[in-house]
Amino acid sequence: MKRKSYGRDAGLSLRMLLTGSLLGLLYVVFAVVLFQVLNVGLIPMLVIVIAIAVFQYYTSDKVALAASGAKVVERDQAPELHAMVERLCAMADLPKPRVAVIDTDVPNAFATGRSPKHAAVAVTRGLWQRLEPQEIEGVLAHELSHIANRDVLIMTVASFFAMLAGLLTRFGLYSGMFGGGRSRDNNSVPVWLIVLLVSIVTYFLSQLLILAISRYREFAADRGSALITGAPEHLMSALQKIASEMFRIPQRDLRQVESMNAFFIIPTSVKGSVSGLFMTHPPLEKRLAALGEIAREMGRPVA
Amino acid sequence: MGLRDVLLGKKKLAGPARERLFALTTAAVTMDTELGLKTAGVGGICFKALSAGDFVRAENDLQQVLDGVAAESGSKLERREDSFGYTWIVVRDADLEDQVTTIHAVAQGLEEQGFGPQLLAAVFKFEGAKHPVYWIYGYKRGAFWPFVPTGKDQERDNAEELELKAKLEPELPVEQDLTRWFGVFDAPL
Repeated sequence: MKRKSYGRDAGLSLRMLLTGSLLGLLYVVFAVVLFQVLNVGLIPMLVIVIAIAVFQYYTSDKVALAASGAKVVERDQAPELHAMVERLCAMADLPKPRVAVIDTDVPNAFATGRSPKHAAVAVTRGLWQRLEPQEIEGVLAHELSHIANRDVLIMTVASFFAMLAGLLTRFGLYSGMFGGGRSRDNNSVPVWLIVLLVSIVTYFLSQLLILAISRYREFAADRGSALITGAPEHLMSALQKIASEMFRIPQRDLRQVESMNAFFIIPTSVKGSVSGLFMTHPPLEKRLAALGEIAREMGRPVA
Repeated sequence: MGLRDVLLGKKKLAGPARERLFALTTAAVTMDTELGLKTAGVGGICFKALSAGDFVRAENDLQQVLDGVAAESGSKLERREDSFGYTWIVVRDADLEDQVTTIHAVAQGLEEQGFGPQLLAAVFKFEGAKHPVYWIYGYKRGAFWPFVPTGKDQERDNAEELELKAKLEPELPVEQDLTRWFGVFDAPL
């Protein structure tokens, strides 16, 4: 990165470092145990996981865009949005990412892509229509900070061994079920059982740590947004709007949506019931508090 | 829907529709006393138009259903097509309970003829506030949600809608996922 300062938060950096180290330690222990137990058996598995990770890393932007139903828009389709992204990129010293729009009423946005050169930023129609321009800038700057901080790379690396552990859990289950795992002598615990248990524990712990890292990256992107726009108060009001109930109510007509079908398939009771430890984003109050702190540092008015 | 149903892949579409729908008549008392809202004497049920093949049979069946219902209740029934290609049966009756009964009878009649999956929503109109208030019952969701259009373009009064939700939640099965609160603009009511 050419520019060093997207602002520093010593406490946040420390927590990130600590979580990262814990994750690294966990992975080293996991790898050592596996090598002890499996010897060469691990190599093909590693190759598979590396291949999957590399594939995910290189296709991350396309997959994320396709999965969310985002459509890349050119300049003539959304001139104002493009102009805004360009302006913010100039301030953040980033190459301009592709710009995509998601056709839903709920205000939201995300960024994706393995590097600033292969990045895309997507906003929902609801975000564009319902938020004030300065609030949209705050949100876009937050997403651009994710790109600048290379969060896709960070999360891919962080998830690598979690993926391996997940795969081994399944593998261990199958080989255990179908008698594929032979113990070295009849008195010892079967190999597949050790692998299975270690994998399950690794998988669970790594997921928790990954989510913690993800939450720290959100704080970092909030800070980045504040520094790019110089006005954290707009991101604060945008976050409040995005989280507010009112902005969840759609603007479209039931009959219009119904004829596009596909909408009534997802069981809604599943989502929205997990919280706290299992959230990828920190709670709103904490983000607002952190942004308020930044605003005071910058001498901005806080509502 | 409980976790078990999710795990077993059982998605219930609408439970006992009758009780859910009739909850509106209880809720209407609260609406009247606390919010000053009264029925506008009109409600309606909206269903998807049929494919060409089904059309002829459905036409006769539908007419039979409507005649049957009209003979039993004192409600005035009216058939309308809207610009989205949906068919509406508009029910005019000064009494809300009769409206609900009639609409339920129409829905049941359609279900018996095999058109259950075509049912989209029942809509009841109330008056007494700044803007008319609609309660929409989604057949696919088995729940009600409020809809308060301001009359300007496709604007709606979300604050009022959330207040209605808060007030009537104890009595009415209100759709909890706000992203499903789609409106029906220009309903022929």
